[in-house]
Amino acid sequence: MSEVSGNPGQMITDPAGVVIDGLHKSFGDVEVLKGIDMTVSPGQVVCLIGASGSGKSTLLRCVNRLEDPDAGRITVGQFEATHEDVNLDAMRRQIGMVFQQFNLFPHLSVLENCTITPRRVLKHSKDAAEEEALHHLELVGLKHLADRRPAQLSGGQQQRVAIARALTMQPSLMLFDEPTSALDPETVGEVLSIMRDLARAGMTMLVVTHEMGFAREVADRVVFLDNGLVVEEGPAHQVIGAPTQPRTQDFLRRVLNPLGE
Amino acid sequence: MALSNRDRARLSLGIQAAIFAGIVVVLIIIIDWTAVQRSFFNLEPVMAMFPEVITVGLWNTVRYTFFGFLFGLIGGTVLALMRIASFPVYRWFATLYIEFFRGIPAILVFIALGFGASLAFGLNLSTLQTASTALAIVGAAYIAETIRAGLQAVPKGQMEAARALGMPAWRAMLTIQIPQAFRIVLPPLTNEAILLTKDSSLIFVVGMAGSAAELTKMGRDGITMYQAGMTPLVVAGVCYLLITVPLSILARRMEERSPTNSSRRRHKKKATASPVSSGVA
Repeated sequence: MSEVSGNPGQMITDPAGVVIDGLHKSFGDVEVLKGIDMTVSPGQVVCLIGASGSGKSTLLRCVNRLEDPDAGRITVGQFEATHEDVNLDAMRRQIGMVFQQFNLFPHLSVLENCTITPRRVLKHSKDAAEEEALHHLELVGLKHLADRRPAQLSGGQQQRVAIARALTMQPSLMLFDEPTSALDPETVGEVLSIMRDLARAGMTMLVVTHEMGFAREVADRVVFLDNGLVVEEGPAHQVIGAPTQPRTQDFLRRVLNPLGE
Repeated sequence: MALSNRDRARLSLGIQAAIFAGIVVVLIIIIDWTAVQRSFFNLEPVMAMFPEVITVGLWNTVRYTFFGFLFGLIGGTVLALMRIASFPVYRWFATLYIEFFRGIPAILVFIALGFGASLAFGLNLSTLQTASTALAIVGAAYIAETIRAGLQAVPKGQMEAARALGMPAWRAMLTIQIPQAFRIVLPPLTNEAILLTKDSSLIFVVGMAGSAAELTKMGRDGITMYQAGMTPLVVAGVCYLLITVPLSILARRMEERSPTNSSRRRHKKKATASPVSSGVA
């Protein structure tokens, strides 16, 4: 990473890499992923871009096995995600995931959202779990809202809580599935800046996004997916700034310049 | 004739009110009030029924219903989980159970349990056991469908988020999905409790000792005991309302307070700049 975060205590000590090899996935008759190969090195940030329906989210969801791949191999750190004997729960504890719709637990307070898994699954004591959770809520700037219910928070705040909730499990890989797509425009920035800080602290991140500015600034690599295949990949400035494939050029033209001027 | 819309609406309301008032007046005139009073609102048996109608009748009705509902709730939750399970045998069993016990009159279950249990298993069930088991068996069938609907009303993302955090399926079900489902179905569940309260009267087909009598039994016994008309049944009816109306009020309260219903206060003002972002900005 180029820069060290302002919070050295938050340095990610053990980032995991991801290796995806020949990944296929169909829903019914529709083949969504048609053989994806890609690698994310430990500590790297990779942004997945592409039109809706190109398979980006499905690819992301295969990594922590929210979707079961039809063929291919995925390894995450020391876990072979696609192996039939893999301990899925143990693997998922190493993988934080942030969803487009936040998916906070509405019947629990912000603090409880962050402590329930450490307490119930990792068997941490109440005090230890709360201390850890408050620490992460402070990092996302929401410690003062710990007692609120998710419904009382803005979208941006909810998404920041979701990030804190994922971080309390001390993951070594973070998956972001269009984390800002459901947000009001004025709250997008607060979420992106936390993601940037996380990237700078050395977290391995796989991010499905339409935020080209974020991808350009934060991503080590950008992967453009179209129709279930990797069409182009490379450094952000290259893929977004000077794409070589016609389909990438066409997609970026439409995203960056929706009115076609 | 140029009636405005508002005048027309007012006229129609007026006519409805007049018809209603007319019906009430006619009923008041034609009813034989002394006869009604003698057989339905006779104060003497009312006084005689107290306090047993409360200490025995109401108490037993509440007891039978409480345990019936409790076990029905547990059984219904298990059936609901079976109903949405991926293992087909579970689904078939749950569907069969629900269709069967929703489809037959509850009184048959009381009879089967009251007379069949001792024949088939040599069991000698107390009235409490018979009544609450029968209510639980019938209640579970109805409650199962309610809870299944509640489970399916919880957004899919909730389970996904819990599993993505590394919760095992059973733990996610127990701490995330079921609590939310229950919140959603609290009002209809209260309905089930009200229905079971009234169904507890069916224990009369089995017969019971005086000390085990519930409200309806006491009402029926009162008729023969006091020879003063239907008044004891009216007393029993009022006692049922003493149970069911508070339940309804409780349900309405909970509905108003449910989190999905709460006013969504939005905090537009941004939280104080996060220490993380200020660290690198």
